Amino acid sequence: MKPLFDTDTFREILDSILRNRSRSLLTGFGVFWGVFMLMLLTGGGQGLKDLLVQNFEGFAQNTCIVATSTTTKPYKGFKKGRTWNLEYSDVDRLKAMVPELETVSPSVSLWGKSVTRDENTSSRAVVKGARADYANIETPEIKYGRWINDADNLQERKVCVIGKRVYEELFPEGGSPLGQRISIDGSYYTVIGVDWKDSGGISINGRASDAVTIPINQARRAYNLGNTVHLLCFTAKEGITMSDITPRVREIIARKHFIAPDDEQAMFLLNTQLIFGIVDNLFKGINFLIWLIGLGTLLAGVIGVSNIMMVSVKERTTEIGIRRAIGATPRQVLGQIISESIVLTLVAGMAGIVFSVVILAGVELAMTTDGVLKAAFQVPFGTAVLAALLLTVLGVLAGLMPALRAMQIKPVDAMRDE
Amino acid sequence: MLIELKDVNKTYNNGQPLHVLKGIDLSIERGEFVSIMGASGSGKSTLLNILGILDNYDTGEYWLDRKLIRDLSEKTAADYRNRMIGFVFQSFNLISFKTAVENVELPLYYQGVPRRKRHEMAMEYLEKLGLTAWASHFPNEMSGGQKQRVAIARALITRPQIILADEPTGALDSKTSVEVMQLLKRLNQEEGITIIVVTHESGVANETDKIIHIKDGIIGEIEENKAHTAWDANIIK
Repeated sequence: MKPLFDTDTFREILDSILRNRSRSLLTGFGVFWGVFMLMLLTGGGQGLKDLLVQNFEGFAQNTCIVATSTTTKPYKGFKKGRTWNLEYSDVDRLKAMVPELETVSPSVSLWGKSVTRDENTSSRAVVKGARADYANIETPEIKYGRWINDADNLQERKVCVIGKRVYEELFPEGGSPLGQRISIDGSYYTVIGVDWKDSGGISINGRASDAVTIPINQARRAYNLGNTVHLLCFTAKEGITMSDITPRVREIIARKHFIAPDDEQAMFLLNTQLIFGIVDNLFKGINFLIWLIGLGTLLAGVIGVSNIMMVSVKERTTEIGIRRAIGATPRQVLGQIISESIVLTLVAGMAGIVFSVVILAGVELAMTTDGVLKAAFQVPFGTAVLAALLLTVLGVLAGLMPALRAMQIKPVDAMRDE
Repeated sequence: MLIELKDVNKTYNNGQPLHVLKGIDLSIERGEFVSIMGASGSGKSTLLNILGILDNYDTGEYWLDRKLIRDLSEKTAADYRNRMIGFVFQSFNLISFKTAVENVELPLYYQGVPRRKRHEMAMEYLEKLGLTAWASHFPNEMSGGQKQRVAIARALITRPQIILADEPTGALDSKTSVEVMQLLKRLNQEEGITIIVVTHESGVANETDKIIHIKDGIIGEIEENKAHTAWDANIIK
């Protein structure tokens, strides 16, 4: 028994394909375009998702933020329209009563503060008071120095971490600003760190680059905030679904502050998990569409191949008849037609894969700034291999009907059509 | 006895049943040079197809080299055709996108003969037929006579016992017709190959040693023609 695929067989196949170049080319184009679209869309979708996900980077995905507003419902003798604030004690209360919580971090923020280094250099910033564990909620990208630690907070040290823009405005000469002192509202703070985080899509109380973060206890004292906390951010422990515990959080805080339990505007709960869920679903939908369109185009291309092979078999009736008359078995004829179909599909498909990879590489090149890739658009190698396998299978399927038709050709047919 | 047919019947059932062969009894010895002659519609092509295992018959028996040819699988039929029979057709039936030498090689390709060996043998046969210079030419670059000689080389390359020629001169002018017939005659005499020629031209039939007349699906007269005088005799008649 001869091997299924030797150079001889390959030459036979190539001969038949190359004999009708323009037709083979047009046929192959259908498959080429299908694979090209499929790969390009998959890569593009992946890249877009990457870009979008980057907006949430450095942000714990199971975070919930509590903010306050005036009440909209009367409750327990209080009129509606009352202003209320979260309290520092809410932190311990929540930690004690909701064991599923991992971190509960309070913060205060003071907007539109003027920050000066000397007479000539000043900047406007948001002064935020935070604890060390705030880093678990919104991860800072420390370029110089460090983040605020527990000792800073306990000893109410006059230290600060400045954001990227603030740094650039106060220290235009560049270099490490550590140990330098800057003035906010007449008090001097020593710079202990620079947060290089640029604007992600999500920012709590202003962008990280616009912020000057000081220990929360220092902020409370300097600005006479007493027990007031502006925001509470918390994360759930591993494996806990945030939506399962937010009602309890709402209930606990509402009871303490005499807020109607169903007053959603007075207490605003932002659950990032829900947002991530929406984005996730969005991309699931986009992916589904991509595969639907891509596979549809590919299928149309393959049906084209099948069709052309059918015409080709019909045209080659005499040739196939001759082959049969001089000793080709039906099996050999079947093998030849299917192989032709596979080669045509595979070559066109590979060209499609290569072309889309080149285009996506170009897109990646355009998205690269300073050697750092913003989003990965390239199709993964596994997907490409999968596509190649899929093409082989489709090639067999496309060749099957024409090949069966070719098998029906009797050697006597060689002598007809004269 | 190389070929023996006993009461072979064949009916085509395309709409109206057409009884083409009505009980053919025929035997052909090894090494004979025979022609089957008949008008169109006489059933001679059908007979040739059955002899070449290209077509089935309905009833009767066909023995080829002491093997009963009946209800063969496609694979066995292909194998017999490949090894025992060489075909020469009226319209040459060369594959147009293959060169002369590739066309001659083709039967060996289906036997699984390695490429180099195949090529050598094909060149040898082309040389034998005086076509060495045309080996790498495509069929449409050759004259009818050359094409038919390539086809004969292709028929010969598997060293068959029988060559079946269906109107081998039908598409050729009279001069090349004579050459082709001379070639077949030489092959018969020198190589001892049994040759069966189907034709409706008495001039062609006259070149053979035995003329089998077929008419309306029945074997008529069988003329011994060793002296090759049938044609003259017919003219005189």
